[in-house]
Amino acid sequence: MSKPPIITARDVNVFYGQKQALNGITLDIPRNKVTSLIGPSGCGKTTFLRSINRMNDLVDICRVTGEIKIEGKDIYDKDVDVVELRAHVGMVFQKPNPFPKSIYDNVIYGPKIHGQIKSKADAQEIVEQSLRRAGLWDEVKDRLHESGTGLSGGQQQRLCIARAIAVSPAVILMDEPASALDPIATAVIEELIDELRKKYTIIIVTHSMQQAARVSQRTAFFHMGDLVESGATKELFTSPQDERTQNYISGRIG
Amino acid sequence: MTQTEISFKGRKRPLETALKAAFFLSSVIAIAATVGIVLSMLFETIRFFEHVSLSEFLFGLKWSPQTAIRADQVGSSGAFGAVPLITGTLLISAIAMVVAAPIGLISAIYLAEYASNRVRGIIKPMLEILAGIPTVVYGFFAALVVAPFLRMTGGQLGLEVASESALAAGLVMGVMIIPLISSLSDDALNAVPNALREASLGLGATKAETIKKVIVPAAIPGISGGFLLAASAAIGETMIVVMAAGLAANLTANPLEAVTTITAQIVALLTGDQEFDSAKTLSAFALGLLLFITTLFLNVIAMRIVNKYREQYD
Amino acid sequence: MTEFLISANKPLRRRHASETRFKWMGRIAIAASLGFLVVMLVSILTLGIGAFSRTEIALAVDLGDGDASSKKIVRNALFTSFPEVTSRAERRQLLRLPSADASRELDRQLAENPDLAGQVATLWFTASDDIDQLIKGAIDTDKPQDQRRISDQELAWVTQLQDLGQIRKVFNTGFFTSGDSREPELAGILSALMGSILSLTVCFVLSFPLGIMAAIYLEEFAKKGRWSDFIEVNINNLAAVPSIVFGLLGLSIFLGYFGMPRSSPLVGGLVLALMTLPTIIIAGRSALRGVPPSIREAALGMGATQVQTTLHHVLPLALPGMLTGAIVGMARALGETAPLLMIGMVAFIVDIPTKITDAATSLPVQIFLWADSPERAFLEKTSAAIIVLITLLVAMNLVAIILRKKFERRF
Repeated sequence: MSKPPIITARDVNVFYGQKQALNGITLDIPRNKVTSLIGPSGCGKTTFLRSINRMNDLVDICRVTGEIKIEGKDIYDKDVDVVELRAHVGMVFQKPNPFPKSIYDNVIYGPKIHGQIKSKADAQEIVEQSLRRAGLWDEVKDRLHESGTGLSGGQQQRLCIARAIAVSPAVILMDEPASALDPIATAVIEELIDELRKKYTIIIVTHSMQQAARVSQRTAFFHMGDLVESGATKELFTSPQDERTQNYISGRIG
Repeated sequence: MTQTEISFKGRKRPLETALKAAFFLSSVIAIAATVGIVLSMLFETIRFFEHVSLSEFLFGLKWSPQTAIRADQVGSSGAFGAVPLITGTLLISAIAMVVAAPIGLISAIYLAEYASNRVRGIIKPMLEILAGIPTVVYGFFAALVVAPFLRMTGGQLGLEVASESALAAGLVMGVMIIPLISSLSDDALNAVPNALREASLGLGATKAETIKKVIVPAAIPGISGGFLLAASAAIGETMIVVMAAGLAANLTANPLEAVTTITAQIVALLTGDQEFDSAKTLSAFALGLLLFITTLFLNVIAMRIVNKYREQYD
Repeated sequence: MTEFLISANKPLRRRHASETRFKWMGRIAIAASLGFLVVMLVSILTLGIGAFSRTEIALAVDLGDGDASSKKIVRNALFTSFPEVTSRAERRQLLRLPSADASRELDRQLAENPDLAGQVATLWFTASDDIDQLIKGAIDTDKPQDQRRISDQELAWVTQLQDLGQIRKVFNTGFFTSGDSREPELAGILSALMGSILSLTVCFVLSFPLGIMAAIYLEEFAKKGRWSDFIEVNINNLAAVPSIVFGLLGLSIFLGYFGMPRSSPLVGGLVLALMTLPTIIIAGRSALRGVPPSIREAALGMGATQVQTTLHHVLPLALPGMLTGAIVGMARALGETAPLLMIGMVAFIVDIPTKITDAATSLPVQIFLWADSPERAFLEKTSAAIIVLITLLVAMNLVAIILRKKFERRF
C-alpha cells in the first residue's frame, strides 16, 4: 500500500448547463487495481468516468470544476492536450463500437495516429500483442483483414479492448463493458479485466453489484451526484458505512 | 514499480488548424451568397431609382419598358409601373394554388391516413417525379398542349381565351407545386400524435370525421407552412410563365386573358442585347429585388411556422 | 338492445357514405396528379420519338467532272432525276427536297470514299425538314394545298421517289453528334449537351467539396448557438430563393463585377453551384447525422483529434449519403434554365464548346430556344431534347437510389 494513487480527484463538480450532475467528488484511484463505480442509474458514475479522459468536453454545455490529477498532473490544466490525455487514458464503451474496418485496422488505428509505429513489423507486433492481451488472438488470427463488425458481440468488445490497449495507456476506463453481452461473453470479459490489471489501472462503471464484487478490488458508490462511500470492495459490500449504500446493495434502491 | 512518465503536452497540428478554418469558411459561403444576392441587386436597383421614382414603380399602373430608339421620339422614357406585373404574378400564383392546395392536401391526407405502406411506397416517389421534372418541360407542355386545349374548349363554350392565358400557365404551375404541398402536408399530418387519433376514434368518430375535425386542425400550422412555401415557389417560378404567359402587361383579374409576371419580365428585359445603365435593364434588378424580398418574407414565415409546430409535438 | 351496433340506422349510414366519399376524393386527387404526369410524358414521347429518325433521299450524282462544285453536282443530280421539271420556279422548289446541307454531305461522303471520284454513284442525302415531316406523317395531305407546307407538286415528287425506293428512314445520329442549326433537319443537341456537361462539372467541382466542408463544420465542429443557427437559417432560405435571382447575381457579380466571359459554362457552373450548395449542405448534414455517435466516441476515446475522427471515420461512412445528395442536386442543376438565361447562355451555338470559357448553352436552354422556333420540325426536336434530358435525369436519380441502397447501413 506504499504506492501513491495514480489518479486523485479533488472536489470535482460537473454541470450540464444549469444542472449539477456531480457534487464535489473526491476520490483516489489506486494503481494496478480495478476500481468499480456503482450506483443507481443517473447517479453520476458515468459522468465521473467520462471526466477522467475529458470525454465530457464533447458536450457543449458541460462544465467541470475541481481538479483531477493523473500522475500528479491536473488534466484540466490549460496546457493539457485532450488528445494526448486520451492516449494515456483509454476507454471502452457500453456498446461494442468497432470501426467498420478490418480487425487489423481497428487495432492499429490508435498507434498509427499517435505516431507509435516505426515499421510494418512494429505494426504486426502491436496488433498481435494487443489481440493476445485481449484474449482474442486465437480466435481472429486467421481473419485479421475481415471486418471487425462481423465478430460476435463479445468478440467485438474484446476487439475494442485490444484497440484501447494497443496505444499502451496507463489507465483504461470501462463504461459498463459487458452490459450488452450474454453471460458467457461477460464471464470472458471479466476474466480478461482481472488479467489486464497486472499492466493497467482499470476503472469500471457497472450496474451489476455482482460484477463489481467479482472484478474489482476497490468500489465507489455514487448516489444522486454524490460519492457516498468508497473503499475495498469486500468491506464495502459486507459492512457498508452509509445507509444509502446499505439500501442499494440490499436492493432497496436502484 | 516505477512511475511511468506521462506527459499530456500536445503537439502543434497546423494542418488540422488549416482544415478547421476551411470548414468554417465553407459554411460562411452560404452567408456570402445571400449577401451577394442582396448587394448585386441593391446597387442596380438604387441606380434604377435615379431614373424612376419608387412610387411610380410600386404604384404605377402602366408597364412598357420599351425605350425608343431615338431620344426625341415620343414616349422615349418608357413606363415602369410594376402593378400589372404584381397583379399578373399574383393571379397566376393564385390559380396555381387553387389547383395545388386541394389536390396536394387531399393526396397527402389519403397517403398519410388511408394508404397502406405499400401503396405509399409507390405513390409518394411518383408524386416526387412531378417535382423533379425541369420547369422548361412544364413550360413547353403548357404552351404547346394546355393553352391550345383551353383556347379550343373555351371557344366551344363561347368564351374568349387568350392564347397565352393566365389560366394555362397557372394550371400547369399548380401541378408543378403539388408535390411541395403534399410532402409538407404529409409531414405535418404524420407529426400529429397518435394519441389524438385514438382519442377521437375511441369516441366513435369515423376515420373521415377524425381527420376533418381533429387531425387536420392539429396539423394546420405545418400545412399552412407548406402552402406558404408553395406560394413562394409559384411566385418565383420563371420558365412556365416565360413560355406560356407571355409579355402583355395587362391589369386584369380575368384568368382567361393574357398577363405577364415579374419573372417573365426579368427574362424579357435581360435576354438579348442590353445596354447597361438604361432604365430598362436596371428595372430588371428592381423587379428581382422585389421578388427576392417577397419570397424571402414568405419563406421565413413558413419556416418559422413549420419549426414552431415541429417543436410543439416533439 | 344492441341496435346501436348495427350500421343500418340512417345517420350512421350517412356518416359511412361520407367516409367513402372522402376516401375517393383522395384517390381522385392522386389520380389527377399522376394522370397529368402521364399525359405530359406520353405526349412529349409521341411528339419527340420521330426526331430520332431522319429521312434520306437517294440521288444519282455524276462525279465525273472534277471541277464542278458539290453544290452544282447535287443540283444536276436533282435535275436529271426529274427531267420533266424545267421551269425556274419549279426547279427552285425541286432544290428544296434535300436539306440545305446536301453539298457538304456530298463532300463528306467523297472524303470518306475517294474511290467514288469520276463515277456516277447513288448516294443518300438528308431530306429537308418538310419532306422529313411528310414522310413521318406529320403533315396532313388531305388539307388543301395552301394550308400545308408541302405543295401537290412536291408531294408527287416524293411519291415518285418513294416508288423508286429512293427514300428511306435511318437512325438520326446527327441529332447526337451535331450542334444547333437554323435547319431543323440538321440541328442536334451535342453543343447543348456539352454546355450542360461543362457547366455541371464546374458546378460539381465547386459545390461538392464546399458543401461537404460546410456540412462538416456545422455538424461536427460548430458550437450550437446563434451563429450556427444564423448560418442554418441562411442555408434554408438560400434553398428556397427563386432560381432566377441567382441568375441576376451571376449577371451583376460574375459578369459585371469580375468580368467573366458571358455565355460561358464557367459562369453557368458558378451560378448553378451557388444554387446547389444548400442542397448538398443539407444532404451532407443528414448523412453526417446518420453516422452513429459511438463511432465518434470510439475514435475520440482513443485520442484521435476531432479532425482525425471526422476524416478517418465519420466522413467515409457519410460519403455515400453525401454523394447521393450531390447527385440529386446535380440533377436539379441539369434541369435548371432561368438563371442561365440571365448570364447569356441563351445563344445560338453551332460549335461544340470544349472549354469552360467557350460560349455555350445548355440542354434545357436549347429546349427553350427550340420551343420558340416556328418550324414544325423543331417541335419534334424540342420534344426529343426533352426526352434526352428526362432520360439523363432518370439515370442520375437511379444512380443515386442504387448508391443509397448499396451503402444503406444499419448500425
